[in-house]
Amino acid sequence: MLKIKELQKNFGSLRALDRVSLEVKGDSIVGLIGPNGSGKTTLFNVVSGFYEKDGGEIYFKEERVDGLTPDRIARKGLCRTFQIAKAPEKLTVLENMMLAAKNQVGENPFSALFVRRRTARVEKENLDRAMELLKVLQLVDLKNEYAGDLSGGQKKLLSLGRVFMLNPDMILLDEPTAGVNPTLTMQLMKAIKELQQREHKSVFIIEHSMKVISSICDKVFVLNFGKKMAEGTPGEIQKNEKVLEAYLGGS
Amino acid sequence: MTLINFFIYLLTMVGIYSLLAMSLNFQVGFAGLINFGQVVFFCIGAYTSSLLATRIGIPLPFCFAGGMILSGLFGYLMSIPTKSLKSDYWAIATLATAEVIRLIALNEGWLTGGPFGVMSIPQPFQSLFSMISYPFFYLMLVLVCVLLIYFVLSLLSNSPFGRDVKAIRDEEEMCLSLGKNTRQIKLQAMVVAGMVGGLAGALFAHYIAFISPENFRPIETFLMWAMIIVGGRGNHAGAILGAGIIQLFNVSTRFIGDYVPLSSDSMASLRMVIIGLLIILFVSYRPEGLIKEKKKVY
Repeated sequence: MLKIKELQKNFGSLRALDRVSLEVKGDSIVGLIGPNGSGKTTLFNVVSGFYEKDGGEIYFKEERVDGLTPDRIARKGLCRTFQIAKAPEKLTVLENMMLAAKNQVGENPFSALFVRRRTARVEKENLDRAMELLKVLQLVDLKNEYAGDLSGGQKKLLSLGRVFMLNPDMILLDEPTAGVNPTLTMQLMKAIKELQQREHKSVFIIEHSMKVISSICDKVFVLNFGKKMAEGTPGEIQKNEKVLEAYLGGS
Repeated sequence: MTLINFFIYLLTMVGIYSLLAMSLNFQVGFAGLINFGQVVFFCIGAYTSSLLATRIGIPLPFCFAGGMILSGLFGYLMSIPTKSLKSDYWAIATLATAEVIRLIALNEGWLTGGPFGVMSIPQPFQSLFSMISYPFFYLMLVLVCVLLIYFVLSLLSNSPFGRDVKAIRDEEEMCLSLGKNTRQIKLQAMVVAGMVGGLAGALFAHYIAFISPENFRPIETFLMWAMIIVGGRGNHAGAILGAGIIQLFNVSTRFIGDYVPLSSDSMASLRMVIIGLLIILFVSYRPEGLIKEKKKVY
């Protein structure tokens, strides 16, 4: 589904991504781990079009996507979340969900004014779907609260909700559980797994906790100093000497 | 009789400035586009409509439409740099843009009449009314326009388009990650705002019947900003309320000059000082303005 070939990204003389190649298959949850500063978020930023690459190729569904703007990549069905959850603060939780729906009618002034009946019908459908997803995420009680008033963890839940509302073919999740309490973390993971199994999407997820990784991922990639260090099942990765060294700081 | 005339004049000006404030509020309060050159829409709408009427002599409704369209097109042009300029730099560019257009109006005399402006601009349906009843008719015309624009802007801000616009104001990167073409949405918001501002300009020109570059100095933008700061951003009623308060103050203090022992020059300066003070007080003690942005509850 997502194929990255020899991807490079430099910040000055720092090689944030050094010829990284990897492939994420469809209908699976794949993890991306690595020490701080190993290039995980940079990889997501380049893949999603927020950073320009310095070399290499990115294919999504057999189509080149490197060089496209972030919104065009998202419209092709590749959608990411951010490490620090973003949410328009003066939109309510429910409006945040509705915002994400794709192919809305009434998203330009002309159709908003003159195609109102169809707009209202699509809005109603999206509203029903949004409520359904909010139930899964246990955010129903907060539906009319401003997103800006939510806690960090709730914002992370909401960004997941928006992504599932958008319903892309592949989701890049950047530390969806960082700064979230353990109970909520497990709840989030359960939600990701549940939604993935129901909708058969691909999920590519950055995560620090091995416990989380091994509980949901089918496959894991390890980055270190901008290079791919290892790949394999969570079980294999946990036994990999090089990975343990990188994480535990052996000499 | 003069008191009634004065009130009619006051309300007409409140109506025209309500349109300008609603247009500015649509950019600032909804789309987060900090426009310090709002007066440019007023200027282009006024000049286009009055020149079409005096030079070419086409029927007035077409002049009004021409003013709105050209002003909307100018909104399109102004939105282009939002692609590469950060909001504060864009804000400075808008201030300069408005001055450039005013200076063109001042210097290209062959087209605009230069410093002498455009004179004897025809007024719509003037022959149907007497000299005394005409201002009242014009007030009604302005009020109908205000209601219509209020209705249209409310529809827009409650639509999926309005939701996109507000989301871009708060979190543009997130909107990009959801696949929203944020540039295009900002562009559409600017065109809508430009057309509303252009309508205000046309209404002003055909009301006053004489316009010159003097009417379109940056201070006018400053007044429109004062209106949305006092009235509140992110809702259309706030813009109208703000326009009412600032215009009431601005116009009425011109007529109490006879009763206070100050020269008209110091009165004019004092007026700006007081409006400035009002802005400072609102920004520090009631930053959301008199009417808050309404939460949409499903």
